[in-house]
Amino acid sequence: MQVNLRHKGSITILDIAGKVIGADALALRKIIEEQVQISGNPAEPREHLNLILNLERVQMMDSSGLGVLVAVHTSVRRANGQVVLLNLGGNVRSLIVMAKLMTIFDCYDSEAEAIAGIMKS
Amino acid sequence: MGERTEQVITLSLPSSMQHVYLLDVVVSEILREMEFGEDIQEQINLAVIEAGTNAIKHGNKEDLSKKATFQFILAEDRLTIVIEDEGEGFTRQTVADPLDPENLLKSSGRGLFLMEACMDSVTYEANGTIIKMVKYKQTPNP
Repeated sequence: MQVNLRHKGSITILDIAGKVIGADALALRKIIEEQVQISGNPAEPREHLNLILNLERVQMMDSSGLGVLVAVHTSVRRANGQVVLLNLGGNVRSLIVMAKLMTIFDCYDSEAEAIAGIMKS
Repeated sequence: MGERTEQVITLSLPSSMQHVYLLDVVVSEILREMEFGEDIQEQINLAVIEAGTNAIKHGNKEDLSKKATFQFILAEDRLTIVIEDEGEGFTRQTVADPLDPENLLKSSGRGLFLMEACMDSVTYEANGTIIKMVKYKQTPNP
């Protein structure tokens, strides 16, 4: 699994690639939680609390990976932030549908739409 | 009557989550060889990874001295996978339903559900320390 971090204005975008399974799911959670902690630090500007998780290049995700998405959704919301999902591939979308989580996540098919969705909220 | 042959492949892993990737590699090759459709391959792969995670993490509690053993039984019409751990076991009925609205936002507890959703049959033996999963090449008649 590879994770690339970039910023667009007040939004942090994580481009995730590969297989989000097993130990890598835990590694992904750590990376994202670090972003939440940075954003939640009063000494730091809270400008990167909005997260876009770009899953376009995720080949596979298991229940551990799905659990990370749910946990991040909860912790970011608790910190008054937003997390949205971008470019769900067929297998990740199937997983989210099977787990009845489509209503939990805001999902977008383009980065521009995802950014607009965050800015609107 | 033609002779039916089965091939049995056995994989034994120390109980580290890092080895889930090895499991993924082995399963992917077996599925390619058996010529399951691409969607079915993804389903079986997910079920095996979930079962492996269950055995390594929840069964053996990532104790490296304990093994998680996977037996792949390749037949003409089906793939049977038997997963065994050295843990204390569990009772399937006591595991909460992840689709229950009060469990939807929990970050764990979906593994067994996904295994059962992806395979044609999943059975629990020896107090849940042995899990047997079957996927047919063609959906069996009800």
